[in-house]
Amino acid sequence: MDNILTIVGMQKSFGKSLLYSLPMFLISFMFLTGGRPDFSNPASGIALMVVFLFVNLLYFLMHYTGKTDRFRAVLFIIFALSLSYTLIHNMLEVRKSMSFNQADILECKIPFCHLVIPMMLLPAAFTKSIIFPGSIIGGFANISAMVVLWLGATLVLGRGFCSWGCFYGGWDDGFSRVRKRRAIKQISDLWKWMPFAVLLMVMLTAALSLTPTYCSWICPFKAVTEFEQVTSVESATKAGIFLSLFGGLVVVLPVMTRKRTQCSFLCPLGAISSLSNKITPFTVKIDKTACTECYKCVEVCPLFALSKEGIKEGEVSLFCSKCGKCIDACPKKAIHYGIRGIPAGTMKNFSRNLFLFVSFLFMAVFSSGPIINTLQGVLKLIF
Amino acid sequence: MKRVKIVAGLLWAFIGLIVIIILFPGLNSFSSSLSRAPFMKLNPRYTGGAVSKQLISERCTLDVRVPVFNGFLKERNTGFVQLDWRGTLPDKICDSIDYDEDGVKDFCIAIDRTEMKTTFESYNVQAKNIIISTPTSYGWAVRIGLLKVPKSKLP
Amino acid sequence: MSEAFILGLSSGSACLATCGIVMFPFFMAGSAGMKKIAWDLSVFLLTRLLVYFTLATLSWYFGQAIFGNPLVRTIVPGILYIMFAIMLVWYSISKNHNPVCPAKIVNTVNNHRIVPVFLGVVNSLGFCPALFIILTKGATQGTLVQSYLAFIAFFIGSSLWFIPLPLAGRIRKKEVLTKIGILATGLAGIIFMIKGLTNLIGGLING
Ligand code: SF4
Ligand code: SF4
Repeated sequence: MDNILTIVGMQKSFGKSLLYSLPMFLISFMFLTGGRPDFSNPASGIALMVVFLFVNLLYFLMHYTGKTDRFRAVLFIIFALSLSYTLIHNMLEVRKSMSFNQADILECKIPFCHLVIPMMLLPAAFTKSIIFPGSIIGGFANISAMVVLWLGATLVLGRGFCSWGCFYGGWDDGFSRVRKRRAIKQISDLWKWMPFAVLLMVMLTAALSLTPTYCSWICPFKAVTEFEQVTSVESATKAGIFLSLFGGLVVVLPVMTRKRTQCSFLCPLGAISSLSNKITPFTVKIDKTACTECYKCVEVCPLFALSKEGIKEGEVSLFCSKCGKCIDACPKKAIHYGIRGIPAGTMKNFSRNLFLFVSFLFMAVFSSGPIINTLQGVLKLIF
Repeated sequence: MKRVKIVAGLLWAFIGLIVIIILFPGLNSFSSSLSRAPFMKLNPRYTGGAVSKQLISERCTLDVRVPVFNGFLKERNTGFVQLDWRGTLPDKICDSIDYDEDGVKDFCIAIDRTEMKTTFESYNVQAKNIIISTPTSYGWAVRIGLLKVPKSKLP
Repeated sequence: MSEAFILGLSSGSACLATCGIVMFPFFMAGSAGMKKIAWDLSVFLLTRLLVYFTLATLSWYFGQAIFGNPLVRTIVPGILYIMFAIMLVWYSISKNHNPVCPAKIVNTVNNHRIVPVFLGVVNSLGFCPALFIILTKGATQGTLVQSYLAFIAFFIGSSLWFIPLPLAGRIRKKEVLTKIGILATGLAGIIFMIKGLTNLIGGLING
């Protein structure tokens, strides 16, 4: 009897889930294909349709299973991997090397990424100029387009950008899922403020030197994208820093702690995005009446956004990236997606549906280009 | 008050929905509007500065750019001048440059493109060294390091 | 100059973190009124500036004598930078667990008028690794004016943290600022460590 009930329940929810997925299906079809899929190049046509169907399957499963994080993470991790593939492939094809040279810098051909944004602010205000050797408009990853995308996403999702939009976050998110148990359990609370210290230092050093110091000296993701050719002691030091930070903060520590340590302890853009959490329409809320204080959510949160004291107060800190991991883990459904102004514990389903539509749409469209490109590359390799 | 908050929250959420829906189709137009903002131009430290004069020869041109000394709040003591050779370049380039337009040559630069070697001879204490010398997609570019020396200390 | 400013800015926070306990009650002194607080703060900052000018002069003169030899001039500052930078990182971490304020002694001074002067002297001579780094910098400058400029930049950077002191009572998340400041100090240490290393290696390679 129980089984029949479950099946009936599932069938019902299957239809409902399909219905909820329909708007995403239509709108992502329009955005990805422009309304008319082009099969003149079979590899790209097939890659496009596969990605479109895959993305929509994930969205459907989010509704059907009621789980968010596991399906979000699949797309988020694939996004990170395929962006690195796209960049490296591009570098190898155009420059025959993973590193860029002085000519690329002089000709302002370096692809822009959102991590430069904090360093642009002071020079833009005081010198009325941008301190990055990229293209203001036109070409691959131009400055204006990346700033617009980041601004739009941050305004709506806040630090949700770090779980639904950033094409680097998938790296440490992925590695944080490798082990079943945490090997390191105790981490001082002090470290979660490190991104703000990094933000302070990189903003100042970038302004005073008029160079994007985080990119030139710190960014761990240089290890999986592109970096300066090693031609001197200085460039060798930089390469050493990139590789060790990648190894330490993106691979080893996430594996040992099951936390996203790069995003939690280093990224200066994450710090700015955290501040934007104060104004965004979508939030994560705790219904204190339903919460039994089991702290499963605190245990699983990859960004140190939850604490036992916070749970008691019904507070989610500004570090939350709205990944949904805690929501999936909560046995009482006490922690849930919410909308600013609406009391915790009310309109849970409505808030989740609206948030999922907005955040998933952003990730699906933003990630589809690199994923299609990567799939196309794989198809070419096979056939 | 509670109701006002709920309505405001919902309104804000729907605005968010609209922002994300129009973000991608409108990306080109939003970004081209942003690119017209006064601060959306590359710093001369990256572009190399505006072209101050162009020396045209038969098959190639040499752009001498305005010296760049700019800093965050004020000009710096150290900077550079960028030279760009464009067109069909000979294997060996040799040019004497008067970058500060005082009628006197400031340095001489010789580039051997096959050997990838650049030599530099300074006639002006303010022109210090080669910072960059590299082939580019349009030809060759060189940056010469400059040092501002107070007039009283000039020979 | 910019390096000295950043060093001052980052270490100033740690300085405030440890000495805040002594300084908050003194400067905030609710009954004192804004005018009195502003006066005391100015005296405090001016004293620090004077001490730094003295240190700039001394370090530059000693630097001329010690770093006359070009080889010593390239290698020793590199080593000193690395040493003091390591101390700075250690200082930022350990201070967090065990704050000790060098100006604590101020509590024993009875004459209220000399307290800001006293605080200024003790605070600027608080022999922290950041001060050692700036002393090394001052000692290796080409001219005395450059040494002064480095110390002024250090002074400005570190003083920025003291400006909001009179309003400290109204700042809600003081401990968050303190934490960020402590971490920034550690980062400044790492920056100087890398600078020292590149100076040293570059110096050795280029003879
Ligand atoms: S913290 Fe930084 S790297 Fe991590 S997801 Fe956010 S922006 Fe990306
Ligand atoms: S609080 Fe929940 S939604 Fe926010 S980052 Fe942590 S696990 Fe993700």
